[in-house]
Amino acid sequence: MHPVLLVFLYGTVTALATGLGALPFLFFRRLSPLVVALANALAGGLMLGASFGLIVKGTDYGSWQTLAGGALGVVFILATQRALAGRELDVGAARGADARQMVLMVIVMTAHSFSEGVAVGVSFGGGATLAAIITIAIAVHNIPEGLAISAVLRPRGVSVARCAGWSVFSSLPQPAMAVPAFLFVEAFRPALPYGIGFAAGAMIFMVLVELLPEAYEDAPKPIVALLVSLTLVGMVLFQQYL
Amino acid sequence: MVLLYSSIAAGVSAVGVLPLLRHDRIPVVAIGWANALASGLMLGAAFLLLSASLDYEAWIGGVGAVLGIVYVWFTHAAAGTEELDLNRLDERADVYGYKVLLVNTLHSAPEGVAIGGAALVSLPFGIFVALAMAVHNIPEATALSAILRSRGVRLDNAAGLAVMTNVTQVLLAVVTYAVVSAAPGALPWALGFAVGSLIYLVLAELLPESYREAGHTTIAVLTTLAMGAVVLLGDLAR
Repeated sequence: MHPVLLVFLYGTVTALATGLGALPFLFFRRLSPLVVALANALAGGLMLGASFGLIVKGTDYGSWQTLAGGALGVVFILATQRALAGRELDVGAARGADARQMVLMVIVMTAHSFSEGVAVGVSFGGGATLAAIITIAIAVHNIPEGLAISAVLRPRGVSVARCAGWSVFSSLPQPAMAVPAFLFVEAFRPALPYGIGFAAGAMIFMVLVELLPEAYEDAPKPIVALLVSLTLVGMVLFQQYL
Repeated sequence: MVLLYSSIAAGVSAVGVLPLLRHDRIPVVAIGWANALASGLMLGAAFLLLSASLDYEAWIGGVGAVLGIVYVWFTHAAAGTEELDLNRLDERADVYGYKVLLVNTLHSAPEGVAIGGAALVSLPFGIFVALAMAVHNIPEATALSAILRSRGVRLDNAAGLAVMTNVTQVLLAVVTYAVVSAAPGALPWALGFAVGSLIYLVLAELLPESYREAGHTTIAVLTTLAMGAVVLLGDLAR
């Protein structure tokens, strides 16, 4: 198979894996404010853990560039929030704050996939022999990201099938970016720390500005803190070993 | 060296009392900001320790982190302080003042482990983490002494108490350093423990109140800024 096609195919597999993250929500029926709060905490822990992992990688390429990317990520979320604040949003049955949060979540996770796609492409370019292993690693690592998205969408009334759909959607930039990054490794490599920093900054900020405050409102502090911190540690270990 | 730097970190907390010289009552928003900065500094330090612990077997750091989380959760539960609101200037009950002091004392222990562990990774790294903790102790002392002041404690006594709550930090920094230099295999465990307990502290103590006192956006911006600064500087120090 042509290598470009192969990279694209692998990228697509990793995107589809994200949809698997919606599956645990098949087993959730009652969606009380407490469940929403706990799901927020879960998503927060997953995203913070993922960001920690990203920053470790980013600082290998360049600390300043990663920080600059991170600042951009924060500004990006602030700008998106501002843009959304002026509109009446109706997403399915949800409106107001719920709708804004869902849109923001999908935008953040989709934006962060761009830099992941570049990372896939660049690592393929660095020696195609490990391609299959890298793909499996990224596909597996996408599952908790789908879980994070579904944890925000599902308690707000989105069906499991649609949660899976939006999870896959959020990962589509991966194959789309992996191919050009693979073809033009030398051009993309310097951009990588900025992209990684952007993804981490945007996710951390999203957790701090949207997910955590809401979790604290409807669930006891120690429970939120336990859930977020244990999920964070779990996510870091997960990424280390898979 | 560890003794010196962790003592500096503890002593610096007296500086946190200074704003109270000028103002009789600190606006509650400012305490929210101070806690947000402290959160960012601690998260940044936790990240640096985490990335240092990944040089060893990752699972050891992970188990250490879970132990750290459980430790802080358990001390809160045992002390009956898990739902304690740390910034209530208007709370009058006697027991509240003691509980705040107790929490601040317990809370310094993981910070000490962080300094001791970091010093064993490399001396500049240890100094840097000690500095980050010192900077974090200032707003912590401001919040603490504002509470003590509002309860009629004299300013110099408030400063003394603020420093005293950080003595556990010095003690544990030195103990961690001594124990881990004797048994180097314990280093990833100590690092993991510090990571888990610092993150749990931020999530259980510092952030929840800050959100109530200042806007979500302000808190999130301050926390991310402080975290970014610590990560960048710490990365250069390693």
